[in-house]
Amino acid sequence: MTLSADPPVRTGLENDVALAAAGDASAFERLYRTHVARIHSLTRRMLGTHEADEVTQDIFVRTWQKLGQFRGESAFSTWLHRLAVNVVIERRRTFAINRERMSDDATALDFVAVAPARSDLVVDFEHAIEQLPAGAREILVLHDVEGYKHREIASMLGIATGTSKRQLHRARMLMRRHLGEATADPGNGSDGD
Amino acid sequence: MHDEWTDKLSDFLDGELTPDEYRAVEAHLRGCAACAAVLDDLKRVVGRARAAGAAARPPAADLWSGIAARIEAQPAAARSVAVFAPKVRRHIAFTLPQLAAAASLVAAVSGGLVWQIAERRARTAPAAVEARRAPEAAASGDTAPTADAPGAADRVVPVVLADAQYDAAVSDLEKALKQGRGRLDSSTIAIVEQNLQIIDRAIDQAREALAADPANTYLSGHLVEARRRKLDLLRRAAALTVESD
Repeated sequence: MTLSADPPVRTGLENDVALAAAGDASAFERLYRTHVARIHSLTRRMLGTHEADEVTQDIFVRTWQKLGQFRGESAFSTWLHRLAVNVVIERRRTFAINRERMSDDATALDFVAVAPARSDLVVDFEHAIEQLPAGAREILVLHDVEGYKHREIASMLGIATGTSKRQLHRARMLMRRHLGEATADPGNGSDGD
Repeated sequence: MHDEWTDKLSDFLDGELTPDEYRAVEAHLRGCAACAAVLDDLKRVVGRARAAGAAARPPAADLWSGIAARIEAQPAAARSVAVFAPKVRRHIAFTLPQLAAAASLVAAVSGGLVWQIAERRARTAPAAVEARRAPEAAASGDTAPTADAPGAADRVVPVVLADAQYDAAVSDLEKALKQGRGRLDSSTIAIVEQNLQIIDRAIDQAREALAADPANTYLSGHLVEARRRKLDLLRRAAALTVESD
């Protein structure tokens, strides 16, 4: 028995990437439909529901413009996701809200109210994320939801790694309270604030 | 519960502590139920976050139509050739007519842009700029309204990009491409032709829209950009025929 010497077969996704890079809008629409849920979820979590639609559209238009630069050195989804994160960060910088919300404001711990009673844990969690102060929210999303490392986040946001770690812990503590899990605390029920 | 310990729990959970710090936190957790409970809560938060990451939700409304409208105005011309072009060292090897054509087009496009800038300035500060606009426009080769004409500030003349020069440049490059067509593979030819059609459609649409709204500077800019893209694509395609020799 011999191994087949056939050339590697392109997947449908790879074909669509190549076609879209050549200007095929139908192929690009297929790429959009494959990836829109993940990209929209990212923008919704990072920026909130109100901006998510517009920024998602911006991301796909930017993708169309930059497809020619995609060389297949990483998975298309990885490349697209990183592009999306960059657009989101750029958007936040444009509105000059990044630095202001990255401040260590202890009163922000009171920002999050008691969790609403919802049966859908994922929806509940997403709602809770949207209530977080923006600085804590973006790092929680990038680290815990999207899986980026602190050093990557620090590089993307232009902050120190230590700041990223502090904001993540702050976000988790807020989420813990918001989701009503502080009831499991056998101590005095406070976060020490 | 102790803040000095709970502040380290996320780093503990993420493996971000040094071995000594890790052992110290671990020892504390063995004797502090409150901090151990916080750690359990944090683990649940992280678990929820990961679950949320795996459960992406699409937007409530379909966003494609808005995207399609925007990308239609931005044909993927310039990149298409690069995607399928053979990976060879690129040579700058234009013929004299091509160089002449490109130079004249650059001048024409620049003129169009200068005209637009002048027009924009005139709209924002008509009294100060009107007197300077005519010389600027004259230098650009465009037909700008004169400063002393009645209602000049409001009567915007559409971009005219020295059409004869542009057409000649395009014609020369098309000729060069036609002659070298046999040296390109069929997929490259198909892509070039497809993109030229897209650009031509965009040019036609911009012209039609400008006919209905001659004062629209956005449309003027769009037309300039579409024409520039067409020239750029033709130049690249013509250059490929030379590289393939």
